[in-house]
Amino acid sequence: MESAPGSEPLLRLRGVGKIYEAGEQPVVGLEGVDLDIFPGDFLAVMGPSGSGKSTLMNILGCLDVPTSGTYEIKGMPITRLSPEALASMRNREIGFIFQVFHLLPRYTALRNVELPLLYAGVGREERSRRAIEALRAVGIEDRKHHLSNQLSGGQKQKVAIARALVNRPSLLLADEPTGNLDSRSGEELLAILTRLNAEGSTIVLVTHDLSIARNARRIVYIVDGRLVTPEEYRELRG
Amino acid sequence: MSPLEFIAVALDALRANRLRSALTMLGVIIGVAAVILLVSLGEGTKNYVEEQFAGLGANILIVTPGKIETRGGPPIIGAARHKLTLDDSRILEKKGYLFGGVAPVVFGAAEVRQASRSRNVTVLGVNKDFSPVRNIHVEVGSFVTDSDDEAKRRVCMLGRTVKRELFGNANALGQVVKIAGTRFRVTGIMERKGVSLGFDIDDIVFVPVRTAMDIFDTDALIEILISVRNKNDIESGKELARSLLFKNHNRHEDFTITNQAAMLSSLFTILDTLTYVLGGIAAISLLVGGIGIMNIMLVTVKERTNEIGIRKAVGARDRDILFQFLLESTALSASGGLAGVLVGALGAGAIRVLVPKMPVAVPPWAILLAFTFSVFVGIFFGVYPARKAASLHPIEALRYE
Repeated sequence: MESAPGSEPLLRLRGVGKIYEAGEQPVVGLEGVDLDIFPGDFLAVMGPSGSGKSTLMNILGCLDVPTSGTYEIKGMPITRLSPEALASMRNREIGFIFQVFHLLPRYTALRNVELPLLYAGVGREERSRRAIEALRAVGIEDRKHHLSNQLSGGQKQKVAIARALVNRPSLLLADEPTGNLDSRSGEELLAILTRLNAEGSTIVLVTHDLSIARNARRIVYIVDGRLVTPEEYRELRG
Repeated sequence: MSPLEFIAVALDALRANRLRSALTMLGVIIGVAAVILLVSLGEGTKNYVEEQFAGLGANILIVTPGKIETRGGPPIIGAARHKLTLDDSRILEKKGYLFGGVAPVVFGAAEVRQASRSRNVTVLGVNKDFSPVRNIHVEVGSFVTDSDDEAKRRVCMLGRTVKRELFGNANALGQVVKIAGTRFRVTGIMERKGVSLGFDIDDIVFVPVRTAMDIFDTDALIEILISVRNKNDIESGKELARSLLFKNHNRHEDFTITNQAAMLSSLFTILDTLTYVLGGIAAISLLVGGIGIMNIMLVTVKERTNEIGIRKAVGARDRDILFQFLLESTALSASGGLAGVLVGALGAGAIRVLVPKMPVAVPPWAILLAFTFSVFVGIFFGVYPARKAASLHPIEALRYE
């Protein structure tokens, strides 16, 4: 796709495909995806459910590896990394924001945010300091000692963003982040993402909702596991 | 993640499910407590036996007729081809410079009668040394004297039980009883010794050894007891007795010398085995407790699939997850083990108070062993669920509701 002049892509995908060997017939999840994401990008991946956008997001987030093609983060090939190294990539380079929040319910907001630092081997005091800092950055520091299941949806998603931010990753990956929020919380959340992007965070937002995708600087469309142009997308979607 | 943090996470998870954790631990608690209790009973029995024997003196050599090729075990009565005689006893007494006392023993069973009452008892023919050597003393009157023996006097000392059966509360000293139809004068009443290893020491009548030879019409001794003056000389004393008798028996070794310590050690081997068997049986219940842990850990892993997915998404490696769950199962079994040690020790204490006759002694090694084993059980039965957790695919784990 188009490239911003004068900078190396943060993420580079070339001919990325994913075939699932589930059941009798292999299922194509992703096919020939070429994509560059640059530092400071705010990219929306737009597609209907079942289009392969979750598969793309899993691959971008190092939760899964492609079955064909190459994928590089900061020039490092991800395709052939061990599960151990993938875990380390997720820890250092990626911050996830999920539709269903995925917070640990028995943990306080603070401890949820500390989690990535725990696995990064950061010491207790430093961990707590940085987690509070991240909570402050999304404006929910006052809820740090609340158990996550005592928080509202909007508050939960803010905690999730703080958790995604806390280890200063290269990329924030948000998968339908407003899907379980009321419209006011959704708007607030998008405002936070926009602000974080303005402050330098690279963000990939996966959604099926065009009004949400419009918050991004750039939109790519995905149908049946392939990236398509906006015109093709409109045509295919009827 | 530091080990301490792993432990904190594990304990957190156990606290989240208090009742379930407690019930799972119960299996281990019962197992460990059972190991400690049963081993304590075994150990207590051993101590009890040791005490019983201690009263009889540990520095005793026992010479029995016949050569028996066994090590340690008590000699088999009746295997003799060549007799032990008073002549042997005399030689040992005369030349045994290491010996404190030499006591020849004649054994017989006879009816003892007094007026209309009678009783079948063991009659032992002994000399004056028997009393110090075997540590059995008269309470009133006197024991066999040398002059009693040389004169083959018809005198006897009654054990407590015999005295009670024949005389009740009446005075027996100086009275006459009939032993195997012969009149004997009672010159002593033995002190109470009680039952030792099932043998009622109070149900014996003692007479001078030569008198016994007369009434039982024999010149054969059943055994000669020797006390070695210095405990460290047991082995050399044994060798001395052997060479003296060897010479006296025309260079035939047709006798056996056992010492009390050797007999005890073989008995203790049996008791130790018993203790281990009891402990082993109890350990099986600990294994069952381990299966309980595995079961609950499998449930836990299933329930917390989503948590595992989250942890993996934020960067937990497979081994982080493995350690987390392994530590959880180990924490379960270790705290169960600790509680089991407490329950076991308290149970042993309770037995001591409630059933004083039951010998219990809690050996420290049993506590350590039971606890270590319980920890090991937690690790062993935790490995499979933990591996299962660690090998979950992050995407599938995240998707799991």
